[in-house]
Amino acid sequence: MADLTYENKVILEMREHFRDKIIETRVQRERRVVMRTSKDNIESVLLFLKEKMGFLHLSHIGCVDWMEENRFEIVYILWHPQEKINVLVKVDIDRLNPVAPNIDYIWPQANTYEREMREMFGIEFEGLVGPRELILEDWDDLPPMRRDFDTLHYVMENYSFRSGREDAQNVREVIANRTGEEIPEFAKKYSR
Amino acid sequence: MTFWQTLGAVLLTILIAFISGLFYMGIRRKVIARIQNRYGPPLHQNFLDVMKLWSKESNIHHGIMQHLAPLWMIAMGVSTLLFIPIVYNSTFWANFTFKGDLILLLYLMVFGSLGFALGAGQTGNPNSAIGVTRGLSQMVGFEIPWVMALIAVMIQYKTTSLTDLVAWQQQHHTWIAFQQPFAFLAALLVIPAMFRYSPYDIVIAPSELASGPPSEFGGKYMGLMMSSGSIFMFAKLALIVDIFLGGATSWLWMIIKTLSLYMIPVLWSAINPRYRTEQAIWSLWRWPLIFAVLGLIIASV
Amino acid sequence: MNYVLNDRESAKIVEFIKNFARKNSLWVLAYGTGCGAIEIPPTMTSRYDAERFSVRGAATPRQADVLLITGYLSVKTLKRVIRSYEQMQDPKYVIGFGSCTINGGMYWDSYNTIKQLDLYIPVDVYINGCMPRPEAVLAGFAKLQELIGRGQANGWRHYKENLEWYRQNQRKLIKNWKMPDYNW
Repeated sequence: MADLTYENKVILEMREHFRDKIIETRVQRERRVVMRTSKDNIESVLLFLKEKMGFLHLSHIGCVDWMEENRFEIVYILWHPQEKINVLVKVDIDRLNPVAPNIDYIWPQANTYEREMREMFGIEFEGLVGPRELILEDWDDLPPMRRDFDTLHYVMENYSFRSGREDAQNVREVIANRTGEEIPEFAKKYSR
Repeated sequence: MTFWQTLGAVLLTILIAFISGLFYMGIRRKVIARIQNRYGPPLHQNFLDVMKLWSKESNIHHGIMQHLAPLWMIAMGVSTLLFIPIVYNSTFWANFTFKGDLILLLYLMVFGSLGFALGAGQTGNPNSAIGVTRGLSQMVGFEIPWVMALIAVMIQYKTTSLTDLVAWQQQHHTWIAFQQPFAFLAALLVIPAMFRYSPYDIVIAPSELASGPPSEFGGKYMGLMMSSGSIFMFAKLALIVDIFLGGATSWLWMIIKTLSLYMIPVLWSAINPRYRTEQAIWSLWRWPLIFAVLGLIIASV
Repeated sequence: MNYVLNDRESAKIVEFIKNFARKNSLWVLAYGTGCGAIEIPPTMTSRYDAERFSVRGAATPRQADVLLITGYLSVKTLKRVIRSYEQMQDPKYVIGFGSCTINGGMYWDSYNTIKQLDLYIPVDVYINGCMPRPEAVLAGFAKLQELIGRGQANGWRHYKENLEWYRQNQRKLIKNWKMPDYNW
């Protein structure tokens, strides 16, 4: 059984300090603590983690599109260099009005991640400085990483394929029919 | 010597220098390939390259200075070559040597690079500008020991004529390289920098500056530069052979001596990475300069 | 003299010599943004030594003969490729390298990578594979040399003649067209 003392200590301390501002905490597995907070408190939570708890390093900022629940979930992944522990801080923001606080004064490298999210998900960060284009150029469609952006439709509209792709669509099925093999239902989508 | 004889000698000299220069470059590529455990291109590869460059169908330039820049290079190469006596005691192969040719050559050898720097500056490519500044600083680096070594020889033998130097060596059956070893050492250390081979290839630096000053030169301009490069390379080698290695009594000796001299910078460059600019200049101002000063002292006492 | 110069046979001989020089001296500009760029170092260095087949790297587009597109091209890099291609001096050749340049490859449903390279610039030789091994790359170069020797690698001429068609395809993808004017 893994030793989870420090993980539990992190949760206890955060609970004690922030009380009900921390919505949900759990130890996902060894060396990984997950907690959720609200948009208004995210800056103070991150600052506290960095200054008081020693999570000095921001590894990554990710974004998840929960289209059905009408929210974006931003995940800040922090790293404690001494105790070797990750903390995942999750924040929900409204999908129709996606505005999040800018944290690049805490970690300068957050600027790049935020610019990428602004480009790929259309999330506006308050007071984020930087060119609007990072990876895409002259993009005038929906932000491409949103789930309601139909990639295949866009591809079919803008690019053309060489003939031969149609025959190659279901190679797997043709082979399976020939040999009498059965493809499971869940694998059918991916066996092209 | 009639006019036609002179013209024939000039054209033949240029032709032989061009062909042997290109072959030397081919040998260099082959030698470097064998050192790197490769098979390497054929020896005549550079002829094919020059032919291909000359058969390009579009050659754009950004202005009249760039258009003229390779011509400066080839003018320098040919005129340098024509003031160097190739074969001892032969009026046909003596070309245009005269009493003060060594001093004239010191000027001629710089002239083409300066003209080329103007042309490269007009292309507007930032890599060209960086390459030009590096090239000029490196020129300051190698010109000082090189000129001092030549002046040491001039003082010791009280002549500024290449023909006299060759004649002295041939009559005394010795080489100035043995009589004036410090000046020879200085010249020898300077050769890789004059040829811009690594570790002194800070000007061309393909991986860093995208070939530097010639980066905007394509097609016929590049072909002209390769041709002038081969001629100028042969001229420089012949000059050093004439001054330090006793000249030559026939074309065959000239080829043998220049080729063996050429192997020194080639082998040195095959195993060396690139210097930074300040390292290149300081390496030229350290040992070569010390040897040149020693040579001057020996020559004047 | 005039008769000799205008003679059809002598023009053929000149063309043969030119093509011989061109095919035996290929200076390659490797456009290495895709994963295929990792196959170029072994092709050029001592393991597979492309230099013995007279294939050599060039530093800038002006000096290069062959544009080697290694792998996928996004719309953003396509701009740079078009610019590099137009800076090269005629005759120039393009080798499409890997499945991505042929039909999108594994990025066939990506919103940002082009699927057919030959809609945007003329391609003389395709090398398929994901990724092609250095042997395949050398075979591609050999094929290109064969085409040049026969005088059939005319992609650059085709591009000049059908410039409008290529421009139309390029503009369809590159919406904000801020490219400088064409400069042969």
